[in-house]
Amino acid sequence: MSFRKRNVGLTTGADRTSVPNISTPPQAATQSAPPTPGVRPSPDDGRPTTSTGSPSLDNLLAGHGGLPVGKMLLLEENGTTDFAGALLRYYAAEGVVQDQKVHVVGMQEQWGRSLPGLIGPAENANEKSDRRKSERMKIAWRYERLGEFGAGVAGARAPAAGSGGQAPSTDGGQATQPAFCHAFDLTKRLTHPSIGNMTYIPIRPSNEPLLVSIQKKLEAAIASSPPNTVHRIVIPSFLNPTVYPPEVSQPENVLPFLHSLRALLSRPASRITAIITLPLSLFPRSSGLVRWMELISDGVIELCPFPHSADALSTSGAATSHEEPPQGMLKTHRLPVLHERGGGSDQNIGQDWAFTLSRRKFEIKPFSLPPAEGDKEAQDSTRSDKMPKKADLEF
Amino acid sequence: MPSQPALPHLLAPYVSSPPQSSLTIVSSVLGATSNWLVLRFLYAALGNPSASNSGYDISGLENGKKKKVVLVSFLRGWEFWRSEAKRLGLDLARLTEKRRFAFVDGLSDLFSSSSTPSQSPLSSHQYPGAGAVPRTTLPIRPQPTPARLRQPVPLSTGSNGIASQTARESGPITKLHFSGSGVAALDALEKEIAAVINELVDTKLGDDRGESEIILVVDQSDLLLAATGASKGIGATEMGDWIMGLQQAAYATIATISADSPLIHNASAFAHEAPPPLETEHAAFAVGLAHRAEIIMQLRNLETGAARDVSGVLRVSKGSAWGQREIATAEESWEEKEVLYFVQRDGGVNVFGRGE
Repeated sequence: MSFRKRNVGLTTGADRTSVPNISTPPQAATQSAPPTPGVRPSPDDGRPTTSTGSPSLDNLLAGHGGLPVGKMLLLEENGTTDFAGALLRYYAAEGVVQDQKVHVVGMQEQWGRSLPGLIGPAENANEKSDRRKSERMKIAWRYERLGEFGAGVAGARAPAAGSGGQAPSTDGGQATQPAFCHAFDLTKRLTHPSIGNMTYIPIRPSNEPLLVSIQKKLEAAIASSPPNTVHRIVIPSFLNPTVYPPEVSQPENVLPFLHSLRALLSRPASRITAIITLPLSLFPRSSGLVRWMELISDGVIELCPFPHSADALSTSGAATSHEEPPQGMLKTHRLPVLHERGGGSDQNIGQDWAFTLSRRKFEIKPFSLPPAEGDKEAQDSTRSDKMPKKADLEF
Repeated sequence: MPSQPALPHLLAPYVSSPPQSSLTIVSSVLGATSNWLVLRFLYAALGNPSASNSGYDISGLENGKKKKVVLVSFLRGWEFWRSEAKRLGLDLARLTEKRRFAFVDGLSDLFSSSSTPSQSPLSSHQYPGAGAVPRTTLPIRPQPTPARLRQPVPLSTGSNGIASQTARESGPITKLHFSGSGVAALDALEKEIAAVINELVDTKLGDDRGESEIILVVDQSDLLLAATGASKGIGATEMGDWIMGLQQAAYATIATISADSPLIHNASAFAHEAPPPLETEHAAFAVGLAHRAEIIMQLRNLETGAARDVSGVLRVSKGSAWGQREIATAEESWEEKEVLYFVQRDGGVNVFGRGE
């Protein structure tokens, strides 16, 4: 009897037709969400993410392959260099290229004119992986398709359709799917039709507190744009006294601003990401104010560029002669989503990272000290003390 | 380890039944957030007793009393708590409907500025794009907002004063709004939260046998202190009183607080110059709370650096208020402990001793 019952259940035509009918509408609904250019679901948990404009930073963000929508990243930088500014320009340029709405706080239009020029979707990475492929010694063929070392989940995920590095995804996948991340050239200037869509919120004296008026302008600009627009809020060198008046850096001004920015980002209907850069030399991490700014942010990344005197170290820091020497260390203090949940369980956690900014990319790699090359002379001299030289031994 | 109980065994005695009129402090740092632990508190109070396969009786029914939870969160919104609780198997939206849970949103509108009518014309002059914007208490959102939060946009007139500063909504979520200064502003917030608590107490469930126990969770209320400061007339003393006022309304209170070393140790250091008020006030607030607490649960990073299978260290210690009550019941028999914890990708938490 049981056989029959099962048979009946399987062969009834009504069930078969009705089930797909029910299941198709939700599919259509989920498929209608992604078409926004530049937004893709995270490989980790499916939440929408958007690219920061530099692939290696995308891969650092706890397996999401990008900055999750609604999250705020705080980029801190020690010293007087502007590596964080370069990252921020990539982020803004990526937003322009993806037709997202970019809001720049505290800067004039000039800032937008200095965005890096577009090379193309991942063309840069393509070329690099080709070169690497030809030069690298093959150790195990089967591991090659696992993605680049340190590329993280996203790097391994992207070429799922094909094989190899990012190359096949550009060949086959790009035609149908718009690029998620682009490559930019810092020496060129971005020319894109939608660059005029960037909004600038300059700092002007007004009757109300400065940050309150900035917040209002941001909200108004976001409210006035059509729904489903993806926004990017860019705040370069926040609290820098050359840009912001000194009273702004009081906790009672800064923290409510960041808090309401966070509230703005976390509204269920909004699709906003934000990156803020902060000069750490002026606002050290050991101060309570900066710690609170970090606590309010979703992600905190600190850049520690090597001082110039460390050039010797940085040249030797390159693993091979083909790689460029690292220009500084990068520390992740908090990553979006991951630490909100409690932290841990990320493969990138606990790594020492080094970054290299070249003309075409901002690359983040695991930092490792190679055998000391600079000590050659010292080694030679010690050897010469102990052992007679070959010339001496010849009779 | 998919079969892991939502409430780890080692953790259960500490989170399952906070004693009456007690204060539990959960301290966190930047890299070791307390959200997972707060969720465990929620689960212990609201979770389905049949779903718990641990040996502990963490049922909501205890002495015939039903536990209810009011969660006040200042740094995370409803979406976050709802989705994270879902990973644990708690449906907060349904629990809200069943009047066992209430969420008080201290994020969305806490410092939203558009409610002060005197400033609206100014901003509209400066920014022509905002001219058409009506003066609502809520900041303007895109018009065709999908109704994902089941709450109507409040039609607040934003007239003035305290009457409109806390826009009560008919929806399940109460949004706090900070306005004014000093103790009055805090009192308004306290009233708002107390109203939510009382509302939850008053609703009688059909199968309710006795009165209910309200557990109040105040998440990161130190933000209020940090973001207002002396210029608004709010210091550690006022905040301490505020928490105490809230404690009176609830059966037991759990408060989370940031304990990063810049916030705690800068104040006490024999510094060459006086530390900024932010640090002194925060340290005073945190230490003051710790003295009033019965249980202190500290979360911190691993001292030896980040590890792939450890998220952080949890230390449970007795607060100053421990042992002051006359009757020490059996449920209070717990000991101080330091364990490691690991939050897995699926949201489960592994709690284990060192070396285990």
